[in-house]
Amino acid sequence: MKFGLFYELQLPKPADRDQWGPDAERRIYHDMLEQVALADSLGFDYVFEVEHHFLEEYSHSSAPELMMAALSQRTKRIRLGHGIVLTPPAYNHPARVAERIAALDILSDGRVEFGSGESASDMELGGFRVERRMKKAMWEEATREIANMMVQTPYEGFEGEFFTMPTRNVVPKPLQKPHPPLWVAASRRETTMVAARLGMGSLGFGFETPEELGERALEYYRLVREELMPIGHAINPALAVLNTFMMADTDEEAMRRSANGPAFFSYSLGYYYNPAVGGRHQPGGSNVYRDFLNRSEETSTVQAQRGGFLTAAEIASGEPNDEIQKALYRAARSGNAIGTTETLRRTLLKYEAQNLDVMIFVAQCGDRKHEHIMESIERFGKELLPEFKERHETKHKAWRADQLKGVDAVINSSV
Amino acid sequence: MAKASDIRDAALRGDLETAFAAMRAGKGAEAVRACAAAYLAFIDRFPEVKAETIPLRGREVSRLLRWPALGANMDPDSVRAGKPEIAFERDRFSVSEAMTYYQFVLDEILAKEKGT
Repeated sequence: MKFGLFYELQLPKPADRDQWGPDAERRIYHDMLEQVALADSLGFDYVFEVEHHFLEEYSHSSAPELMMAALSQRTKRIRLGHGIVLTPPAYNHPARVAERIAALDILSDGRVEFGSGESASDMELGGFRVERRMKKAMWEEATREIANMMVQTPYEGFEGEFFTMPTRNVVPKPLQKPHPPLWVAASRRETTMVAARLGMGSLGFGFETPEELGERALEYYRLVREELMPIGHAINPALAVLNTFMMADTDEEAMRRSANGPAFFSYSLGYYYNPAVGGRHQPGGSNVYRDFLNRSEETSTVQAQRGGFLTAAEIASGEPNDEIQKALYRAARSGNAIGTTETLRRTLLKYEAQNLDVMIFVAQCGDRKHEHIMESIERFGKELLPEFKERHETKHKAWRADQLKGVDAVINSSV
Repeated sequence: MAKASDIRDAALRGDLETAFAAMRAGKGAEAVRACAAAYLAFIDRFPEVKAETIPLRGREVSRLLRWPALGANMDPDSVRAGKPEIAFERDRFSVSEAMTYYQFVLDEILAKEKGT
């Protein structure tokens, strides 16, 4: 199993004021640069950063290509992942995406992971006039053509449903051939299976349990073997999942440092993605963090203070059926990668046993402190990463090679 | 493992095999129509699903409303009337949309046939 960090660049407003301090955004951007540089030096494999727009407090990461460009010059080995680029053409013209991905691939000496998706929040869809009911079709058309642009010389042009473009040579071309590994955001099991059939890595945002992962990994790889219909020119067989992350000397201290980060992550995600709630957001005027503290006692500091997270059995008995609601519930309550070195080892071994390819940690969330995140990255990098890396090279790669026997598509994957 | 070939009901299996072949050929719309036909046939085959509910955002809704709303949408009025219909709001569908419908119908049929 490989490991990565995941960034939304969350920035809760102060509960007692209506706006952030003048230095707040500068601080989280520079904190991220420092955190990823440390992770790179310790051998973390990936950093993934979202693209979101207008989701105040939940995500201030609207130009991830710039952060990635900065990181490409401050890091040596870590893979730079878009998790994800919004590819419906109203957000980003497909040619501009192809150009930016290729330029970043060159700047980083071939370290780009190209994740794509379409978002589901009213704030973003409405802000860019993207029709909700067409967004998946837009995503597919644009993503397929972006892959073509990175490969064809010249790009033959396209007359599509959502964008048209005459023949042009889209330059530069990426360093990785035929193009960087492709990923797609997958909050539901169905989407993971779509990813498999399209030959894309599945960036799982569902906070899946190890038990769920076992079945999902086997099915995912079976579909890659048996039902592949690649969207690009190379496939990226890879299954990744998110988990909230914080380490300390004791489980209790890790939970205290975790603060209400996971609960705010979950609350603010639900706030923007539930049309009934997100639609009431007042741009520039709402205070989501204050709402969170006032309205969700169960998932706020009170929960963290009284001992934190629920057990797997408690989660299973109380969680909603709907997959998106379930993901939110788990994001706030599971605390799977929060604790001591031994606690994390126990948890992560379960994921490893189920053949997960990549575990991605959400460290920066809510009002967690930079120094606690740095300490956790360092502790994980020194105390746990080496043993998992060794088993990845010796055992997991052999398992994966076995899963991919008989697949005759071109593969470009960093797993 | 969830394969169309695992479906016991021959007619339902045939519908999904048709959908799969259309996806392979890049014919998203044809595949979605085959999935919709399969799902309505599934409801006929297992009419008890019309009475089943699932919790969604704090209320109980018909299980049939889990059908993905990507342009071929389950009509809620028809569900309430006990005669479910799927309304097509457009003619073109992408392959990934077809895959989403296909996976949904496949999982639903196999779950019901296995009694889970």
